[in-house]
Amino acid sequence: MSAASTSKAKKTFRRYSSREDRIFDICNYTFLFILMLVTLYPFINTLAVSLNQATDSIRGGITVFPRAFTFDNYAYIFKENSVMHATMISVLRSVIGTVLTVFCSAMVAYTMSRQEYVLRKFVTIAFILTMYFNGGLIPNYLLIRELNLIGTFSVYIIPGLIGVFNLIIIRSFIDGLPESIIESARIDGAGEYTTFMRIILPLCVPVLATVALFTAVYQWNSWFDVFLYNSSYPNLSTLQYELQKILQNSNASMTSRTAADAFASSGNVHANTVTPLSIRATMTIVASVPIIMVYPFLQKYFVKGMMVGGVKG
Amino acid sequence: MNKRWLMLTLAGMMIATACSNGNDGNGNPPAAGVDTPDNGEKQVEKASFTIFNAAGAAKDVNTNETTIGKILEEQTGVNFRLEHLVGDINTKIGTMIASNEYPDVLIPDAAIDKILDAGAFIPLNDLIEEHGPNIQRVYGPYFNQMTAEDGNIYFLPFSNLVNEFVPDPNINQGAFWVQRRVLKEAGYPEIRKLDDYFDLLRDFRAKHSGEDLTGFVALTHDWRFFATSNPPMHLEGYPNDGNVIVDMDTHEAKVYAATDSTKRWLKALNDLNAEGMFDKASFVDNYDQYLAKLTSGKVLGFFDYGWQIGNATNALRDAAIADPSQDDYRYFPLPVTFDGQKDQYLDPPGFVKNRGIGITVSAQNPERIIQYFDNLLTDENQALVMWGIEGETYERNEEGRMYRTEEQINKIDEAFNESFGFKYYSWNWPRYGGGSTFADGNSLGPGEQPEVFQMSLTEGDKKILEEYGVQTYAEMFAAPDDRPWFPAWGIPKEQGSPQQLWETQREELTKKYFPRLVLSTPAEFEAIWTEYTTEFGKLDTEAYEQWTTEEVKKLIEQNG
Amino acid sequence: MENTPVGTSPLKTAAGKPAGFWTKLFRQRSLVYMSIPFLIWLFVFKYVPLWGWTIAFQDFKPARGLFDQQWAGLKHFEFLFQDERFLRVLRNTLAMSFINLVLGFVTAIGLALLLNEVRHIVYKRVVQTVSYLPHFISWVVAASLVQSTLSPDGTINQLLLWAGIIDKGNEILFLGIGEYFWGLFGAASVWKDVGWNTIVYLAAMTMIDPAQYEAAEIDGASRLQRIWYITLPGIKPVIIVLLIMQIGYLLEAGFEPQYLLGNGMNVDYSEVIDIFVLKYGIAQGNFSLSVAAGMFKTVVSFVLLFAANHLAKRMGEARLF
Repeated sequence: MSAASTSKAKKTFRRYSSREDRIFDICNYTFLFILMLVTLYPFINTLAVSLNQATDSIRGGITVFPRAFTFDNYAYIFKENSVMHATMISVLRSVIGTVLTVFCSAMVAYTMSRQEYVLRKFVTIAFILTMYFNGGLIPNYLLIRELNLIGTFSVYIIPGLIGVFNLIIIRSFIDGLPESIIESARIDGAGEYTTFMRIILPLCVPVLATVALFTAVYQWNSWFDVFLYNSSYPNLSTLQYELQKILQNSNASMTSRTAADAFASSGNVHANTVTPLSIRATMTIVASVPIIMVYPFLQKYFVKGMMVGGVKG
Repeated sequence: MNKRWLMLTLAGMMIATACSNGNDGNGNPPAAGVDTPDNGEKQVEKASFTIFNAAGAAKDVNTNETTIGKILEEQTGVNFRLEHLVGDINTKIGTMIASNEYPDVLIPDAAIDKILDAGAFIPLNDLIEEHGPNIQRVYGPYFNQMTAEDGNIYFLPFSNLVNEFVPDPNINQGAFWVQRRVLKEAGYPEIRKLDDYFDLLRDFRAKHSGEDLTGFVALTHDWRFFATSNPPMHLEGYPNDGNVIVDMDTHEAKVYAATDSTKRWLKALNDLNAEGMFDKASFVDNYDQYLAKLTSGKVLGFFDYGWQIGNATNALRDAAIADPSQDDYRYFPLPVTFDGQKDQYLDPPGFVKNRGIGITVSAQNPERIIQYFDNLLTDENQALVMWGIEGETYERNEEGRMYRTEEQINKIDEAFNESFGFKYYSWNWPRYGGGSTFADGNSLGPGEQPEVFQMSLTEGDKKILEEYGVQTYAEMFAAPDDRPWFPAWGIPKEQGSPQQLWETQREELTKKYFPRLVLSTPAEFEAIWTEYTTEFGKLDTEAYEQWTTEEVKKLIEQNG
Repeated sequence: MENTPVGTSPLKTAAGKPAGFWTKLFRQRSLVYMSIPFLIWLFVFKYVPLWGWTIAFQDFKPARGLFDQQWAGLKHFEFLFQDERFLRVLRNTLAMSFINLVLGFVTAIGLALLLNEVRHIVYKRVVQTVSYLPHFISWVVAASLVQSTLSPDGTINQLLLWAGIIDKGNEILFLGIGEYFWGLFGAASVWKDVGWNTIVYLAAMTMIDPAQYEAAEIDGASRLQRIWYITLPGIKPVIIVLLIMQIGYLLEAGFEPQYLLGNGMNVDYSEVIDIFVLKYGIAQGNFSLSVAAGMFKTVVSFVLLFAANHLAKRMGEARLF
């Protein structure tokens, strides 16, 4: 179909059912607008708390606007020298982790979608089953230790290289591609690699963008592996882990009697300028804004989308 | 050929990631090890060790990056790399135990039973004998209590009293708190009985009916629930021994969670609720919501431990400094008991035996560490870690009393605490316990020094203390009696022991029934109480009491 | 088609001769190269740690070596199943999981369909971006927002007061009423993740051939008809596959929201298996109990997974494997 005929068809459609169309649109746009308010609120609220003086936030009641505006909470976080370096590590693990995960998952998913592949069923089930069990914390820790991955950057990448969920989504997508595309590639004498690289990957861009987003978010947000494996290696610390540290630090004198005694005993008369409440809000913003900004770049691949179906004709 | 390249590049990236930092892949944390000798005047070999602190929260630093740590390094040649726990303690300690790899020094906090069970600490007896004259002086009186069943000492606790005891002038422990304006309007009456306390709140609320005031709130969120379940013990005139009241004569430990004391306390709350005096949301609010209520100025009274409300009281104090009329909304602690009997809110000097610092089996030069510990325990170095440097962070007057100038007090804020090292040294090291004094009579902690406390008071503080004819908040309360077992909650329990299980079940049951008991109509109260005591009767409380009594008696003997 | 180059086609075995497994495998070696490294990875990182399951049959103490553990037989399983509370937490887990499953699917698919109908591209993008924001707010922060919204002086009670449904002084203690908990949990989960969950469906919708819409337009199909007859069937395979996967997770109802929103008043409805295991397993130093609970969940997952997959196969739908 040519672009011209598409737009012509659209025009015709509009003319015929414009009233019904408009009612639908009004309802739809209004509903989505309300939804937007409801989902925007938590973020706005968190932003307001993060921009409000910590000692004032304790009083509660902050909704959309800060009551006592300040950047102190942000200053408190960014005064830590470690934050910049940790951000770099976070970016690095997100980028490398995402590229490798997307590529490897796509490759396995491709083999899983080849109906004639004799190991297809075996591979598929072997992967799927792992979604529903895990050996437990200690065995996993000992494994990582045996593999000498403790204190390395690769511990962020290798153990989570392939997510089964991602694998399945990609496979479903490939399954939905017309078989004729692959067959015609075969006629041209393309081998598996070529078919995968030249035909499948480009056609899968929307789903790969989805998986990339999932993986990037997962990588960006993880801190448990840092806690478990790399807590003694400050050079490999990530943003989320540093933020967790800062949060804990802000809470220091209120979590136990002994800590409070130590605080009282020190004769420190200064009220805490930060509180867990404010730091939690601030770190939510600090940690989520960068990853949220990635979204629009990926979005174009699956919202407007290159229409895969179009390749058919 | 293009794709080949791409594949190769990707494969290369994978290998690169796998190998990056591989030089560190042997699992040895950096910064550990012994450096070459320092050619300074002192012939001490420099050494660096690692400490994992599961008890505190602070930045991870090298101690020699702080002023205090630098001075101590000059004295001993030893530096520590401090790491603090960030996530779940059991997970972290569990992985250490499973891999049998530890930092050189470990402060396992609540996971100490697991660490001892794993045999991760080395016995310190010989080391102390050989290198620890100060340790012997400071901890000597407690060696009995510190010795494990196998005759070894595995760690150094933090709460050993040295010299005379000075009480904390502030109220960090439990109290019934009341808004200052309530007392002011009533003419600063003396309130000692629970009924009088609630009447005081009632009267004030009735007179200010248009202000939408809350009479009384309770803190129940998550593990902080004890702020609602502990008061019966205090109302009977006992200090915080956790789940039990220990009789002063027979030394029998009795669980009070289902006794008449608890019934009386809950019935009082139930009555308050029926009158609309009690904030129903107390049982669903989280900790932040609770603090928000305390800072709102709308809550007249509550029971809590001072250390849990620091953020709220500090915020109120700041507001009162900015605008003295706000002083009315701050809270004042009262020694309330059921019938006006002698209160025991103030903690007696106690010895917490299930927390401490130990040297692990992974440590290479334990004698260097023990020497460092011993060196910390001189009067001079204890003054250094608590007070700092004379002329910089404190002064001495002609009589030798230590104090801080206004300027010094203002200088010592969070950032200063970190760079100077107070933050890292004032706790979690071998030390004189809280409330200790130096040989010359000065307090170990500046916070306990009367001169420093007086300077911290606002005009409003001075006024209300004067009205009650006291110098400090602590003077509002009776002096603590001697209790060698205190605190009974600090008696170590084994992992997965029946005592631990009982405590979990007790908490579950009280959390479930207390809200029902308080929020029911007065007519339903008895029936629900019967249901609760029936359920409670299913727990093996007797065994728990028996075990606690035995442990208490052991402690009394050891102190004997 | 007939002229497919002889012998080189990996698609079909040479006509007539049913090739043996090894012959086929050899022919498909490029596929093997593409999957075997990852199978090894899978084995090492996912299957090897399964030795940890032995812990469930021991009185495990991390301090003891692998072979010095005391065997405990089925003790931990017995503790789990004999406890009357376990039935209750199992019920809560299943209920909340089921609510989440149904609500999660319906709302996410619904929202994806509505978004797909938005022609104004900027509006569409903005709505989509905004709707997924709550996903980035941790449950700790989200739960405290839920708590303040539901508190006696919170938004919901204010609305009810304003509408005259309740009177002053009789504000509803939403989180104090156990029976409300499942519903509140479901609503909170939807609010937090609906936008995020639409992403995968939006990606699936890009697969639909635009020619189908054009044809439908020409036939005069209404908006709803197009959604029903084109869009929905177009993403059906993805829906089914995700559904099967999710059914396998029926014993995973989450942990954080229940833990954070739970309290003594709603504990009979809010406590899920994971919280139970935390209280009586991990917090007591009893690792074995948590492993036993994990094994139980795995077994149930497998049963559900195979049943769901089989059902899908019988119904002629897309299936997981």
